[in-house]
Amino acid sequence: MKDIVSDVPAIPIVSHEKPDGTRWTLKEKLWLGLSPAEYRAQFFRNPVNWLLIGIFAVGIPIILQRYIFGLASVTHASNDYPWGLFLGFGLFGMVPLSASGFMLGTTVEIFGRKDFHPIERLALLNGLLGYFFAVIYLEVDLGMPWRLPYPMFVSLGPAAVLFLVAWHVATYLSVQIAELVPAFCEWYGWLKGKRFIRSIILGLTIAGIILSTLHQGALGALFTYAPGKVHPLWYSDAFQWIHFFCSSIFAGLSMLIVSSSICKYFMRWRCDDTFLGSVDRLTLGLAKGCSYAMITYLVIKIVAVAHDNEYAYLLTGWGQYYLLELGIGVVLPMFLFAYGVKHARVGLVRFAAVISVLGIIWNRINTAMITFNWNLYQEIPHWKEVWITITIYALYFITYRFILYRLPILYEWQGEK
Amino acid sequence: MLTRKHLAQAALTLAVGALLSWPGPGRTMDISDAPESIEIDSLSELYGPVAFDHLMHTDMVRCAECHHHTTGTGPASPFCGRCHEGTEEAETVACTDCHPAKRFYAEYLKTLENPELYHIDKPGLKGAYHLNCRGCHAKVGGPTGCQDCHEITKAGEKRFDTGTFAPPAAGRHRPADH
Amino acid sequence: MKEKISRRSFFKGGLAGTVAASVMKDGPAKAAHDFQGYPDAMGVIVDLTRCVGCRSCEAACNKEQKLPRPAEPFDDYSVFEHMEHGQKRRTDEAHYTVVNKYELPEIDHPLFRKIQCNHCNEPACLTSCFVNAYTKTPEGAVIYNPKVCVGCRTCMVACPFYIPAFRYSSAFHARIMKCIFCYDTRLKYGKPPACVEACPQEALTFGKRKEILDLAHHRIRENPGKYVDYVYGEHEVGGTSWMYLSSVPFDKLGMDMHLPREPILKFVKDFLAIVPMVLTIWPALFAGIHLLATRKDAMQQQRNDENGEG
Repeated sequence: MKDIVSDVPAIPIVSHEKPDGTRWTLKEKLWLGLSPAEYRAQFFRNPVNWLLIGIFAVGIPIILQRYIFGLASVTHASNDYPWGLFLGFGLFGMVPLSASGFMLGTTVEIFGRKDFHPIERLALLNGLLGYFFAVIYLEVDLGMPWRLPYPMFVSLGPAAVLFLVAWHVATYLSVQIAELVPAFCEWYGWLKGKRFIRSIILGLTIAGIILSTLHQGALGALFTYAPGKVHPLWYSDAFQWIHFFCSSIFAGLSMLIVSSSICKYFMRWRCDDTFLGSVDRLTLGLAKGCSYAMITYLVIKIVAVAHDNEYAYLLTGWGQYYLLELGIGVVLPMFLFAYGVKHARVGLVRFAAVISVLGIIWNRINTAMITFNWNLYQEIPHWKEVWITITIYALYFITYRFILYRLPILYEWQGEK
Repeated sequence: MLTRKHLAQAALTLAVGALLSWPGPGRTMDISDAPESIEIDSLSELYGPVAFDHLMHTDMVRCAECHHHTTGTGPASPFCGRCHEGTEEAETVACTDCHPAKRFYAEYLKTLENPELYHIDKPGLKGAYHLNCRGCHAKVGGPTGCQDCHEITKAGEKRFDTGTFAPPAAGRHRPADH
Repeated sequence: MKEKISRRSFFKGGLAGTVAASVMKDGPAKAAHDFQGYPDAMGVIVDLTRCVGCRSCEAACNKEQKLPRPAEPFDDYSVFEHMEHGQKRRTDEAHYTVVNKYELPEIDHPLFRKIQCNHCNEPACLTSCFVNAYTKTPEGAVIYNPKVCVGCRTCMVACPFYIPAFRYSSAFHARIMKCIFCYDTRLKYGKPPACVEACPQEALTFGKRKEILDLAHHRIRENPGKYVDYVYGEHEVGGTSWMYLSSVPFDKLGMDMHLPREPILKFVKDFLAIVPMVLTIWPALFAGIHLLATRKDAMQQQRNDENGEG
């Protein structure tokens, strides 16, 4: 909130030293240099927080209910639809939107495009938190959440696609944490850690690409276990993983555009001039990437339809729904991106990114829930399931904001680096 | 069609516990040798024994309808006739003599592995009774309900959660639904 | 054939290369080749012409597997009318097997179909499980180990027959609930499963899969006109231990006639094959791109160093 600035005499903490020359304590850093009363005041002044309080007031009791009385008390407990919103949105939706980390890591560290550096950390954080909260969603959905480490250490089923997802998400989470360690080290004042990470950053980045390619694809490949259950238009033996991987590229970039825009407009006080000065230009750069990825995605979507000879399906109701999804979720933002890049219309690009993000969530929910069991009936999630999904997302939002307020993500640390 | 003469040529021994083996030699059995009624009780557990009115059934169908070729009358089905037409009366004619009570237990399954065995699909005793009796009843309009022939026992009520063991509120079936 | 071999070696190589390689034992090789089923696996032929819908199998299963008490007695036939979401009854956390009734206009009596786990030769549930909670025993049963199950429910997504159910009703004792062919209590002692033993009509014929498959074809042959000439489960998804005979086309009894003949795993192999490619090619590719992309900087650096020295 911009309002904070008016409460704080100088700009918020950007270095270890206070304006008077003494050092900030860790506690003061955590409180953003505000007194508890000031902090509380700024918290309640923000209407977003009231909304969050409302979400949590209902959501937390329902989450407790889920952990005490079982999934049946908050979902429809469907045996035909084993995966509901927690995975349909939380896992299959959040993971592609978190591809930003490896995309920007690759751009900056591998392709040497240092000009993207100002938003690299935001991309990494967006990636890390997206994955982390995908795991949180998973923990809500798993029947026995306390056994999360079992596939790693207790009972291994290495021939399963989900085994690959589990290992890759776990290792990639570690990689992303490592990639963000420098930001934490600067803020905390522990430079040894940062120097170590710098020395292995190329390895980390390449590991990130490998792991991302495989697990983004693997999420798609999970549906190849149900060849007859997902509607043929959303399913392809050979291309499922490519569809998921390729769409994660523009999903991650679009999410980064959305995220950086929110920062630019609602967290301006926290951004430094480097960020504010370059974000519009970089947004156009990202948009260019998006439109390339989208045209590639469109082509392989069409190739998949041709490969399985599914043209007849396009004439059915499902076919129209499919074309609607592709039209609104991909073709429209693709043209908006292309137009926006050509005419340097950043606002238009931001609007396109929002559509693209929603489009990708729509695609994942279509694959996991709507066209799943297309020959049976449609399961409508229980309202509590919807509310828990929103609650976890609110938690994600708060965590995201908490970190952005503090760590040098949107600004350069002014102290020793 | 079935005539008295046909029926008179044949005799049936359906017995399970009650029936004794045929005493003397001969090509075909005589109706007068058939028992009037038989209590089928060897399998009774969930259901009580069946009081089978054998005489009444001999009035309605040929022996071969139930006893295949074993009474020496020639089988009812032309398929069986391929081998069994004109065969003599068997030493024993009780269902239990050929149809095993433990049809699906390892010991019996082993005997089916004999490559020379043609009758690999011979039903077990319970199957033979029900397929034959109930099968015919369904065709000719005889009783087909479980308890039309044998009464359910306490053990049966327990198994089926019925009678004294019925669920307290036997209302609508509801799988986990909230 | 050639393609298959190369895929197999890719698959093995790929798994060897994964992060998990160091902790793996024998899993992947087993799943990679075309598994035709254990030679002595047992099976059951369900003869739908014989089933009379008495629900004895349901009752026997309920007691044998110590499932929850039913809402209605097992001799209550009104359950056949129960529909949910327009669907007939299915297996759930309280029922490992259910019988459904089908009234076809062309037939003067109703037909019944029992459903339970079909115990696939190469089960999708097993191949999709990332904690190896499922085992296909040499006796043919697909059994489940609740002690390692995480509750991800991928097996339920993967099962082409919609069989595994989840005990959603408990937070602390959640688990998959599914027919295990009475493995623990009967099958491994050479006894038939409880439902087979309970069936009065011998609609269920138990025996070695190989032999009952012969028997099924024998039964079709010896009763001309009685059966459609098809054994459901002989080839579906790579073959199942439980198979069906019917007097009417199977799809009229709600059975999926569009299932592939190959095991579900076949559809997943395409993806598994790319794993080793990504693992081997990506590092070299991206390291190379990095060197190319940053070569100007590197040359500049070198020049600076030389100048510095000179």
